[in-house]
Amino acid sequence: MSPAPDVRMTLPARAEGVAVVRQALAGMADALDVDAAVLADMKMAVSEACTNVVVHAYEDADGMLEVDMSADELGLTIRVRDHGSGIQPQVRSRDVPALGLGLPLIAALSDAFELQGGTDQGTEVKMTFSYARESDPAEANPVTGTVGNDGRWDSDASRGTPAG
Amino acid sequence: MDANPIVLDDAPGDVVVVVVEGEHDIYTAPTLRERLGEAIGRGGGIVVDLTGATFVDSSVLGALLDARRRALDSSKGFVVCVGQTVEPGVQRILDITGLVPILPVVTGRDTAIDAARATPNGAGE
Repeated sequence: MSPAPDVRMTLPARAEGVAVVRQALAGMADALDVDAAVLADMKMAVSEACTNVVVHAYEDADGMLEVDMSADELGLTIRVRDHGSGIQPQVRSRDVPALGLGLPLIAALSDAFELQGGTDQGTEVKMTFSYARESDPAEANPVTGTVGNDGRWDSDASRGTPAG
Repeated sequence: MDANPIVLDDAPGDVVVVVVEGEHDIYTAPTLRERLGEAIGRGGGIVVDLTGATFVDSSVLGALLDARRRALDSSKGFVVCVGQTVEPGVQRILDITGLVPILPVVTGRDTAIDAARATPNGAGE
């Protein structure tokens, strides 16, 4: 059983809520005296995880975004959860075109990353950030590829031949 | 007063500067797309100035890449600029996505304006 979270937020899965989560994270990181570079990675990864919920989880229906932040002596663990349609990263919103970079960014910016869920089971993204990093996680899990001709991220494309 | 403004500056004449300040994500990306569309519609080159930006996510990058494509399709210059000091919330995503040479991203608004004027491919040439 997981320990009780230090911060638990439940809010409507709407675009305006993503900045609210970042503000809460910044406040918690300030209390923990987190390094500015690590905090920047935390904010980016959490924003991308929350954006995935807003764009993909509930399609046109209303739903909730849940965020748990739990600190221990080594780092901060953040869980971003929805109860929506599950992992469908290729779904594109009509109103908010998605680049498709969210999960690669989360993997590159967090020291550990897990994705759980399935069709109609909701999705949980668990990210762990160490206060004292021994190396840059983006070196171990680099974002590969570049933007493709369709405007989405192509993880297999070479960066030496940007699409113009 | 908007804490995260996106405004157009057409003072350079033949180049429109889209000035982006504060934090920007999926909530403000539609507004950014609108402003970029206005800038492209005015003719001339486009510069996106992120000097005052403190955070941008992949929604913003998507808007910038779409605008870049539209600008290049119309044979307009498109260049992004940052200041001498760049916030981690901006620098990091540009670095790890490798988009600095693609958008392209240069240091300083004047440099960006010159590049957007000089060629449809801006400083990427």
